[in-house]
Amino acid sequence: MSTNPNRTGNSAVWLGAHVGLPALVVIGFLVGWHLAVRWSGSDLFPTPLEVFYGIVELARHGLLVKYIVASLFRVSWGFGCAVAVGIPLGLTLGWFRPAFLAINPMIQILRPISPIAWIPVAILWFGVKDSAPIFLIFLASVFPITVSAMAAVQNMQSVYIRAAQNFGLRGFRLFRRVIFPAALPQIITGVRIALGVAWLVVVAAEMIAVNSGLGYLIIDARNAGKRYDLVVAGMVLIGIIGLFLDLLVRRLEKFDEVRWGYGQQ
Amino acid sequence: MRLGKSIVGTAVLWLIAITVLHGALNLQWFKRKPAGSARERQLGVGFIPVTCHLTCPVTDYINRNVEGHGFFQPLRFSGFAELKEMFLGRPEEMPATFILAPMAIALREQGVKIKIVHLGHRDGTAVVVHKDSNIFHPADLRGKTIAIPGRYANQKLILYRELKKVGLTFNDVTILEMPPPDMPAALQTRSVDAITSGEPFMGQTELDGYGRVLFQAKDAWPGFISCVLAVHESAIQTRRAEIQRLVDGIASSGKWIDQSLTNRLDAAQFVAKNYYNQNPRLLSYVLSKPPDRVTYSRLQPLRPDFEEIERLAKEAGMLNGTAHFDDYVDDSFAPDPEAIHVPSFQVKK
Repeated sequence: MSTNPNRTGNSAVWLGAHVGLPALVVIGFLVGWHLAVRWSGSDLFPTPLEVFYGIVELARHGLLVKYIVASLFRVSWGFGCAVAVGIPLGLTLGWFRPAFLAINPMIQILRPISPIAWIPVAILWFGVKDSAPIFLIFLASVFPITVSAMAAVQNMQSVYIRAAQNFGLRGFRLFRRVIFPAALPQIITGVRIALGVAWLVVVAAEMIAVNSGLGYLIIDARNAGKRYDLVVAGMVLIGIIGLFLDLLVRRLEKFDEVRWGYGQQ
Repeated sequence: MRLGKSIVGTAVLWLIAITVLHGALNLQWFKRKPAGSARERQLGVGFIPVTCHLTCPVTDYINRNVEGHGFFQPLRFSGFAELKEMFLGRPEEMPATFILAPMAIALREQGVKIKIVHLGHRDGTAVVVHKDSNIFHPADLRGKTIAIPGRYANQKLILYRELKKVGLTFNDVTILEMPPPDMPAALQTRSVDAITSGEPFMGQTELDGYGRVLFQAKDAWPGFISCVLAVHESAIQTRRAEIQRLVDGIASSGKWIDQSLTNRLDAAQFVAKNYYNQNPRLLSYVLSKPPDRVTYSRLQPLRPDFEEIERLAKEAGMLNGTAHFDDYVDDSFAPDPEAIHVPSFQVKK
């Protein structure tokens, strides 16, 4: 540990700002929540402690890990497929104007349709296996990625292209060496938003008769009578995992290929 | 730091790891299949966790315990809409399902090749009001808001029938469609004046102390039918033996449930824990207080019962009246009530 008083002081300030302040807000929120439930006299809505015991109960029955793994599995594949389709599609549409003119209206029509509206179609097409929620998560996240990749290419400074062309770069090499790297920072922003959306729709996606997952936990707890502690436990777990996923994607911003884009802003 | 290789490698590793974990924890990939379980695709049977569908898990549980494996695959849904979509879209995966009787008839009217082969239960529905409300008689429902599970629910029909008896129609009340799991909370907060659905959601309001039964189906409409076992016609042609076995199983386990209060309480325990994921106390309550609140005998589909449903549903504007008993019922599977074998099954304690 450093003995430098300045550095110790700085790290204390950093800890206070990054851990202490958010922790204070969380504690304040929990206390407010507890008091609100007590004062309202509601025996339907759970207190934070009851929710905690609900999570402990899930862990004791071995369901906590199972459900988290199931939701992460569906989001990983749905989101992974969205990245694999969305980035190449967006880059293509951004670069080839006729393709953009032809396909963009269709994308803009499909984009505002909520994944919940797709549930009946997902069941008709995929039944009640994992493929149905994966499809819904894919649908929710593919459009933000496509649109951000498309916009990234379209909004790219033309000086990059002109300079590259002066150096004799053409075709695929121009695409790989200049266009893709130039668009990457904006694409990563789109990917980050899309991961948030993918995780957001996990409840709706798991409304389909899968028998595991955090979304399923919420639907199942509603069917289980007065188990609103488990409903809220599902919400809390989705929130906490969502936070970790966001922190993970933020790490992408530390890569050189992406950082230059943020530096410029 | 270089993005390309590290990110692709990590993503691939993550996908493999999470897939293997999901396979191991949730899909039982690495568990040995019990000896004797059929390798071919089992008959999928849809149900939702309500007492109207209780014979589905009870038949499966008894079979698993007596024979070591089930002969059909119970598929649990959260609501009728998803269940119906699966039946319509993937009849090869789920050719049989427990479903609301008017919904099955409406599907037949719309050209779906669905046949009711057996009943799921009788009675097991109540209209419940808040204990502090001033509703003591169906006539007091005038001007009130009543939650029902859906437009094709038999609960809508029993409500129509009782309102009609006191000279009221649906124009005199406000009908609200609401998923049954949300009904108890809606009644407690008095967002609605009355609720009606299958059990255990009505019993829950009594257990929690804020619900009062206005009337039980068994008193208002003895022998009331809400849900039936329906199959796709294509399965009747290609999987007749399996459907017969299913119907025999449902009929037998129904008789087993009704045989004694002990069997009812045992069923409440194992169904709540293994299939419904509900509080066993709640299921025990609705299956025993009183024991004839919902019954599982006399499950043969009978013409007069369905003709009454047809007539009332047409009057209430729920059905067109274009499909009739012979169109939507195939009673050739239903065993003779006297010949139904009651399994000598006892839950190990």
